[in-house]
Amino acid sequence: MSERKVLSVSELTRQVKGVLELGFTDLWLQGEISNFKHHTSGHLYFTLKDDKAQISAVMWRSRAAQMLFRPSDGMKVMVRGNITVYEPRGNYQFDCLSMQPLGKGELQIAFEQLKQRLFEEGLFRDDHKKELPEFPRTIAIVTSPTGAAIRDMISVLTRRQPSVEVIVVPVKVQGIGAAEEIAAAVDLVNERNLGDLIIVGRGGGSLEDLWAFNEEVVARAVYASRIPVISAVGHEVDFSICDFVADQRAPTPSAAAEMAVKDRREVVELIRNYCYTMTSAMKHSLEGKRDSITRLLRSYSFNRPTDLLRQRSQQVDELHRRLGRSLHHSLSLSRQNARSLDARIRALDPRAVLKRGYAIVRKDDAVIDSSNQVAAGQRGSIEWKDGIVEVEFKGKRS
Amino acid sequence: MAKKEQKPTFEQSLSRLEKIVATLEQGEVSLEDSIALYEEGIALSAVCMETLSGAELRVKKLTKDLDGTIQLTDLDDE
Repeated sequence: MSERKVLSVSELTRQVKGVLELGFTDLWLQGEISNFKHHTSGHLYFTLKDDKAQISAVMWRSRAAQMLFRPSDGMKVMVRGNITVYEPRGNYQFDCLSMQPLGKGELQIAFEQLKQRLFEEGLFRDDHKKELPEFPRTIAIVTSPTGAAIRDMISVLTRRQPSVEVIVVPVKVQGIGAAEEIAAAVDLVNERNLGDLIIVGRGGGSLEDLWAFNEEVVARAVYASRIPVISAVGHEVDFSICDFVADQRAPTPSAAAEMAVKDRREVVELIRNYCYTMTSAMKHSLEGKRDSITRLLRSYSFNRPTDLLRQRSQQVDELHRRLGRSLHHSLSLSRQNARSLDARIRALDPRAVLKRGYAIVRKDDAVIDSSNQVAAGQRGSIEWKDGIVEVEFKGKRS
Repeated sequence: MAKKEQKPTFEQSLSRLEKIVATLEQGEVSLEDSIALYEEGIALSAVCMETLSGAELRVKKLTKDLDGTIQLTDLDDE
């Protein structure tokens, strides 16, 4: 009779473990996730299944941390790992070393997930976005110190506005640690107030190359920036999360430089126009004032006093003349009167009568003007122009 | 940094210049005031033109020492 070998449960399990763990190493497995649980410990526990079977799976925290996307129930994934046997429970599970989504790229999914999450948080909101300064004095550019992007930006800035100052904050723009460097650079510029404007960007590349600008740490640093940020990541077709969060997005680094500063020639032209306008406004105003003064000087009211004076003096002259004339007139009238009076008086003058040959007869020194005043024998005198004769009267002739 | 607060920025100067031009254009200022404004305006334009006249772009590269101090050096282009 042969001895039956009797195993203990542990012994059997150990053997199974040995067989399974040696036999199923470094496998790629695809399946659909269900019963997904993100444990507080950081480990991920889930089930991978297809329509006929399922297997428990686990992803330890250290591995899970490297994942860019978040798995969820229903997601179809491809995992790489081993079979492990958990003896105390007596089950086997798939120990995942890495996971990626089936179908769309892992990065693409991660991008969309983060974009959605940050959008819901409100990081892309327009009302948070700041206006760019019209005339920045200093521009901080967070980018690689080598490469086409910085050269292009410097070239555009030189052409458009060489009076501006540029501080390049050099960072890795891809690879491990790039996102952290970019975020730290944005923070530093804010902390030390190194510029009026920040341009964050890099030249073109694949989604992997540009990935740093899709990382949450960069998004948060750009959102928190007090200084306005222009995001210029890759080419026209590339949209990064940094682009959504920034205050302005530029399709290329060169475009960012164009957005950042006004063309100097335009501003010079503007100032020249201002000077011209001011000068002609002044000329116009001065001429206007001068015309007003001239008009004023010529105006009736202004000249009224002089006018009045002239008028008055004219009147005075006039009156003077009239006075003169009337005086003259009256004088000559009087003279005329006087002359005729004179003549008449003279005519009446007795001596004039005598001259004409008449005589004055007197008796007792009284003039006799009637023949009845004398009697015969009386004495008297007769005065002619040339003398007096004594007479004795005879009798009256009848 | 305190110096920046005292001197008006280019933006402030240009904005003041714009205001002066608008005021003079309207022409409702006394002759004395308009002369004063004109002089200020011309002076501002000169300052602004001066600011714009920089011929060469100044480019500095930032490096941060371990102790946190910032150094700005000229950028070496290749």
